[in-house]
Amino acid sequence: MQDIFKPSFIIESLPEILRFLPATLEIALISSIIGILLGFIIAIIRIKRVPILNKLTILYVSFMRGTPLLVQLFLAYYGTPLVIEYINYKFGTKYSINDIPAMVFVFLAFSLNESAYTSETIRGAILSVDKKEVEAGQSIGMTSATIMRRIILPQALVVAIPNLGNTLISLVKSTSLAFTVSVMDVMGSAKVIAGRNMRFFEVYISVAIIYWVICLLIEIVIKKIEIRLNIQDREVIDDRG
Amino acid sequence: MIEVKNLHKKFGKNHVLKGINLTVKTGEVVTIIGSSGSGKSTFLRTLNFLDSATSGEIKLDDIYINASKAKKSDILNIRRNTAMVFQGYNLFKRRTAVENVMEALIFVQKKDKEEAKTRAIELLTKVGLKDRINYYPHQLSGGQQQRVAIARALAINPKVILFDEPTSALDPEMVSEVLEVIKSIAHSGITLIIVTHELNFAREVSDRIIFFDDGVILEEGNPKEFFLSPKEERTKQFLKRFNQEFTYEI
Repeated sequence: MQDIFKPSFIIESLPEILRFLPATLEIALISSIIGILLGFIIAIIRIKRVPILNKLTILYVSFMRGTPLLVQLFLAYYGTPLVIEYINYKFGTKYSINDIPAMVFVFLAFSLNESAYTSETIRGAILSVDKKEVEAGQSIGMTSATIMRRIILPQALVVAIPNLGNTLISLVKSTSLAFTVSVMDVMGSAKVIAGRNMRFFEVYISVAIIYWVICLLIEIVIKKIEIRLNIQDREVIDDRG
Repeated sequence: MIEVKNLHKKFGKNHVLKGINLTVKTGEVVTIIGSSGSGKSTFLRTLNFLDSATSGEIKLDDIYINASKAKKSDILNIRRNTAMVFQGYNLFKRRTAVENVMEALIFVQKKDKEEAKTRAIELLTKVGLKDRINYYPHQLSGGQQQRVAIARALAINPKVILFDEPTSALDPEMVSEVLEVIKSIAHSGITLIIVTHELNFAREVSDRIIFFDDGVILEEGNPKEFFLSPKEERTKQFLKRFNQEFTYEI
């Protein structure tokens, strides 16, 4: 009888799956960078209560947080061709949907989703900044841009880092949805390998290990950054200058 | 010279400043006293546009601002010529003493890093903190923090420094070290406007005392005549507490 469970296959399939690790990391990194930038803009809109945009962003964040990421991914995947078709019809252009790699839809859906979550994190972090320091900056004539860059952001970052780290970790895990729109990432490759040799259980253990290790590494890095940013624990380096 | 004309400030329905008129000469040391809620702190804050006055005019040498239609550039200009020392020190907590002062030099005065550091150390030496330059605010006592704040205020080379109850948050034994520093910069060419409850200090250091009551300047005069023979009944009442202390001292 064939082996019911073949542990050696967990190790054997690792190298082949790992070849697609860059794709997974690429989705996670690019989406989180775009997500943070967009989230920052949304946070500023909400804090400054920019007319009209403020209401729109509230709706946007609510939608993004209230619908499954998988659904959003499908909306991007099946919606974008319609948009392109409409643009072609309206302006007489000849863009082809086939020129757009599936990866773009993944970036689109993941970045937008990420931005909704990070906007709330960043908004909370900015609001937590000590008003006194802002006033000190104003009182000596700093411009609002300088105050944002030198006073608000460094402090907000300390507050936001743990949350941003958590969001990044859940984003890494969510990238496993990308295969549903035919992107070859860790999950996608595992499915192919497993389909070839019917060792589903072993291959998915392999996949689980890979995700787990990445998330552990991110956690460690975030902890290190947190410690570095914490001024209260820092010692006086030299008291004579 | 600072000229304030008919300055009003309302917070919603609360009319805090009800038409302040005041002229302060360059280099003059003016102390504002009055009970809590009389509008003295609000007045200082409107001078620096931390609170925008509802109406009125503010003139600082060649800068003229009509409070109800102040432009961003005017506000920045006035802020770069006035510095504020706060009751709660308001230091940048994530930066050391020297970095706090350098921040003003680099980002407001646009000095390069080397020059800023030299100047910052000079200023901290001036307020007696030469051996504390690399300490973070949380590693300093209240009095030391307030002296760093004064050094930071001096860094922008202001025409005017506004002191908003600079010793109210301090332990009694730290009050004098801060007052000494303020005394050392008084009559050095910088105009000082000080809001304080330290009446002894006010009498000693000021050229003029101003008494705020319910959003108006009720009485003003040089320290000697103000403390010995106040004209208004309300002023007498306020000073009674002080005069009692004064008598006990003998």
